[in-house]
Parts: sequence; structure tokens; C-alpha cells
Amino acid sequence: MENKAPGALKRLWNTLRKPSAKYSLLAISSVSFVVGILFWGGFHTGLEMTNTMEFCISCHEMRDTVYQEYKETIHYSNRSGVRAGCPDCHVPKDWGHKMIRKAQASMELWYKLIGSVDTKEKFEAHRMKMATWEWERQKASNSRECRNCHNFDAMSAELQKQTPYRKHMKAKEAGKTCIDCHKGIAHKLPKEYEEPDED
Amino acid sequence: MVPENLTEVEKMMKTLRSTLTASIAGAALLVFIPTAYAVDADAAKALAKQNNCMKCHAIDKEKDGPAFKKVAEKYKGKANAEARLIEHITTGEKAKFPDGHEEEHKIVKTSPPKDMEQVKNLIQWILAQ
Repeated sequence: MENKAPGALKRLWNTLRKPSAKYSLLAISSVSFVVGILFWGGFHTGLEMTNTMEFCISCHEMRDTVYQEYKETIHYSNRSGVRAGCPDCHVPKDWGHKMIRKAQASMELWYKLIGSVDTKEKFEAHRMKMATWEWERQKASNSRECRNCHNFDAMSAELQKQTPYRKHMKAKEAGKTCIDCHKGIAHKLPKEYEEPDED
Repeated sequence: MVPENLTEVEKMMKTLRSTLTASIAGAALLVFIPTAYAVDADAAKALAKQNNCMKCHAIDKEKDGPAFKKVAEKYKGKANAEARLIEHITTGEKAKFPDGHEEEHKIVKTSPPKDMEQVKNLIQWILAQ
């Protein structure tokens, strides 16, 4: 019976499994440590490059629609000069949730590739669906990204107008979260959206 | 043109007929010409929604702000209604709340900014309630 030589993959696997007879454990560990740092740094640099407003509006789907609307809101321009950019509201800051959000965003890239929202008309046709996804995500996280800057407990009864303050405290008591009342704060509301009747 | 051989009475009758015809035509025009401002209700509702107007107002229910029907009633037939209400929602003037306190009324924002046609349309929609 003829002995068949192992394939390239098999040979690579065998090499990787073999203990090193040439390099010390210290050398291997040191090299792995440095390579690990370089890899991690590179990975994070790449990730952070996708976490900027410039990256978000590099697609015309964003630049020509929601970005233009956002530019007219208080989150873009205000008295104190504090700006909340796209990732501040739409990407979690902590690593775990950020990675999950980034994985979800890869589906958005897929929709970009197949041209689902590549015209204003298509965007408007899908606006309600896309907005609802984002509202649900924010609701599920108790408006985590809003709360990076806003907090019921930090609202001053003296400095905030009486009516919004009363409504905020009522919302806090009722266990409501920011997105329950502040949908469309930085973008146009979808035409299909119906405001719930509040007292 | 009035022929010369007509009697004075016939001439008067003819003038009267022409005047009457012109008056009827004028009245018909007044009735059938569309109103000076055609309200785009959908655009007005969208602007009200975007500006959270309905958080304090309702069409026919008193909330923190008066019902739009009540506003329309208050300003019915008043020549300065539109101008007065535009001032109210674009200058941040004080509004009185049910508990008696006064607070600046929210300034209605449009896209593009300060588009008075959108503001006028919103006011006309409120006045039409």
C-alpha cells in the first residue's frame, strides 16, 4: 500500500503542534507579547477609525440625509460648544457592547452594498424601519448613550425650565428612559411615526 | 356701445343690466376663488410633531397649553391672528401655564431654518381647527 504524503495544511498543523527545540519559552513568550500588543493596537486603531463622524458620513446615504438634519439640531451646534457626533449616540462606549454594535453594523454595510437605501426615496421608504431599530436598541439599553452625558439626577430644578423639569421627574418616577420621549431629537421623524398621546 | 336711437329708459336698463352682470360675476369669483392660503395639513402636522408641539397641546383637549380648537376660536375673525401667533411661536415670548407660572414658549424650528412659509402653514392649520 502506497504511503500518501501529508498536505500543506496538515504539515503546518504538525509544525505548530511540535514543541520548539530551538527557542526558549521566554523568547517565545516575549515575541508573542509584543506581537499581541501590536495586533491589539492595530485592531483598535482600525476600529476607532470607523468610530468617527467623518467615517459615518463618508457614505452618501448618511451624508445627504440624516447628517443634514442633525446639523440643524442642538446636538451639532449649541451655546456651550459641546457636540455629540454620530458615534456618541449610536455606538456604545464600553468594549463589549461596542463590539456587538459593530457586528450589527456590518449588516448595515451589506445593505449599503446591495443599494437598499442609496437614494433619498429609498431612504425615506425605509426610514421608519431603521429608526425603529435604533429606538428599540436605545430603549433596551435604557438610553445608555444619552446617559453618557445626561442624567435625571444632574438636572437642576433651578436651571431647567419648570415644565421640562416636572416632566423629567415624572418620567423618572415612571421608569421611563430618554428615548421614550425624545425620538427624532437629532433627525427628522419618519412620516409614519405617531406621537403617543400624553397628558 | 349704446346705439343712438335707443330711448333714455332703454339706455338706463342696459347700463343696469351690465352693472348687475358685473356684480354677479364679481360675487361668483369671490365665492369660487380658493382661499388666500391653502393649508398643507400633512406638512403642518409633521412640523408640529417634529417640534413636540403635541406634548403640550392637543387638537381638542386642554393640556399644559390650550387646545388648538380653542386657539382657533379665540382668534376667529381677527385680522392680526396669523401675525400674533407667529410672534408667539417664533420669539420665545412668555406663555402662561395652567398653574399660573410663566415660561418661554418653545421656538418652533423648521428645516431649512427660519422658513416662514412652514411657520405660516402651521399657524393656518391651527387656525383652521
